[in-house]
Amino acid sequence: MIQISIENNFTSWRGAARRCLQSEIAPDEILWICDGRNGLFESNLAEETDEQIFKVPLDFLPLAETVVCFDAAERWSLLYGLLFRIVHENKNLLHIESDDDVRRARLMEKAVYRDVHKFHAFVRFRRIEIDGKEIFVAWHEPHHHTVMRSAPFFARRFGAMRFSIFTPKGCAHWNLENLTFSEGVVSDVVAPLRDATEDFWLVYYRSIFNPFRLKINAMKKELPVRHWRTLPEAVLIPALIRQAKELKSKKRR
Amino acid sequence: MKVLRRSIYVKLHLTVSSCFTLAILFHLRRRVNLKTVMELICKLEILADAAKYDASCASSGSHRKRSKHGIGNTEGIGICHSYTPDGRCISLLKLLLTNVCIWDCAYCINRKSSSVNRARFTPEEVVKLTMDFYKRNYIEGLFLSSGIIQSSDYTMEQLIAVAKKLREEENFGGYIHLKAAPGASPELLLEAGKYADRLSANIEMPVQEDLDKLAPEKTLMTIENTMADVKSGIDAAKDLTKKNGDAPKFARAGQSTQIVVGATESSDTTILHKAESLYRKFDLRRVYYSAFTPIENTNPLLSKLPTPLMREHRLYEADWLIRHYGFTASEITHGAKAENLDLEKDPKLSWALRHRDYFPIDVNRASARQLLRVPGLGARNAARILKIRHYHQIKLEDLAKLRVRMANAKWFVITADYNPNVYQLDAEKLEERLKPKAIQPSLFDSFTNTALSGEL
Repeated sequence: MIQISIENNFTSWRGAARRCLQSEIAPDEILWICDGRNGLFESNLAEETDEQIFKVPLDFLPLAETVVCFDAAERWSLLYGLLFRIVHENKNLLHIESDDDVRRARLMEKAVYRDVHKFHAFVRFRRIEIDGKEIFVAWHEPHHHTVMRSAPFFARRFGAMRFSIFTPKGCAHWNLENLTFSEGVVSDVVAPLRDATEDFWLVYYRSIFNPFRLKINAMKKELPVRHWRTLPEAVLIPALIRQAKELKSKKRR
Repeated sequence: MKVLRRSIYVKLHLTVSSCFTLAILFHLRRRVNLKTVMELICKLEILADAAKYDASCASSGSHRKRSKHGIGNTEGIGICHSYTPDGRCISLLKLLLTNVCIWDCAYCINRKSSSVNRARFTPEEVVKLTMDFYKRNYIEGLFLSSGIIQSSDYTMEQLIAVAKKLREEENFGGYIHLKAAPGASPELLLEAGKYADRLSANIEMPVQEDLDKLAPEKTLMTIENTMADVKSGIDAAKDLTKKNGDAPKFARAGQSTQIVVGATESSDTTILHKAESLYRKFDLRRVYYSAFTPIENTNPLLSKLPTPLMREHRLYEADWLIRHYGFTASEITHGAKAENLDLEKDPKLSWALRHRDYFPIDVNRASARQLLRVPGLGARNAARILKIRHYHQIKLEDLAKLRVRMANAKWFVITADYNPNVYQLDAEKLEERLKPKAIQPSLFDSFTNTALSGEL
């Protein structure tokens, strides 16, 4: 068993994986460690070269780049296992979506896509002023390591607004020209700030709700309860449900 | 203390006419003009409430880059920023410019003779709300509709004014869906299409007889002419793009419409055939179906009972089969026991049970078209199966791993291994076995049958 210590990013894993593959180390002989310290390799591994020795199908790269964002330690070994099998067993492995490893990787990929999508959907900016300058700030709690993947969307869309998005997994900042990232923060730093527009948003939220069509599960499927605490409008949900149920029982009588 | 404040806040937000209390809250918090805020909140309450009967909230299918100093873009994929407890997505700020209407369509809450509170936004108010919401990432854009005031043309002009302001004064690059007032002049529709990503004229009723009874001012012909005008605008822009490589944008996300279900006797068969012909004639992107709910002082001509949400759900499923699975409306409805879709079974399963001679389907040999007909097997899995079988014989467990809905699919397929279920294909009992299991009603849940409420 050898221990391989990598940084929490795709490039670091790829470098290590190439060297392991060159040294023909089987997946079950590696213990992948990603604990925030810098990458350290066992010295008996092959040196990394620029030569492209292994041919990997085109669709492996985007899959791997996505799976590394998944928040579970097993992702590194799963990816190396796939890579090893693609090189040694079947170059078409990724097409066999009913294969257990492929399926696990695809499910992780899907979870990351969904997390990015929910990131884009559920960030709620609050407008504040600092030294007379307008800035928009938000707090969000992503499930996976999706800050770097999700932030460019906001820069494209809100390029004319200064903004900062704070999350436990990293923060993103836009100064009208560049997108920069910083370490994650532990608690909701945006909570004490107020933005009067939020009140209009809450009025809108409860007015657009149709109490005659209560479908609680359908809502929870798309708006998972764990996100409620970061969404201002979610504070209304329990009361809206109660009112809708009262309305229904009143009608029945 | 914080918790207490929060609960007071929620209460204030939920009292029936909370306009006033909320406005005071605002006033205390920030020294803004109380009257203005109060008015705006009341308008928002009335005009969002009035807009919620339009089911569409889609914001996909349009691409627009943000202009240099502007705010907003569209990237093809719409985003649902929130969901209300009715399970519906909030993607757009959905508003009526006004709920005053000169028409008296019986099924509509905003009809002339209705006793609802009336209000009217100024274009500036809608523009400010849209920009304020958009900048906070609450929405993808605006869906603006309106009651008919003065005339179709006048109404259309008002809607256009808002969209124009957003695009030209605010450099807004987000999504705009405008209602096309039936009968508005072609020139106005062409102008609307310049600013809007989507236009929609609602047909509401599937046949003219229903309209004659319930909406005497409306004719199918007028509505369809409006759709035709929009279509020709879209086609012209497409042709220009083909010729010159580029053209001014015109309703990039196409047009849609909505049909109210269950207000009249019109059956699902009638509705689906109408929808299919609209898709063919006008290249609609979507037909939305809206289950009718009778509300206070509903017109006596209309159904007294609320339409089961499951009926609406089945129509969406059938609609999906028509658009993505190669079914025709007559295939879905022909030979069925009733004029309406089966509430207990999805339309594909119902079709398969009526056409057992079409099965079993060998998943290792069948064409894409055949795979798409298997109950429980969706389009994405059909595509996966076509890929996998180049390299690997497909067995039952492969289907299960792909999360094909086996309870439905297993009776209809042949796999590389032994599938005993397929011998039951012709059994009379199969239909019984495929019925949803009766749900044990709980004490607290005795009236709500999940299957019929459409909560899936």
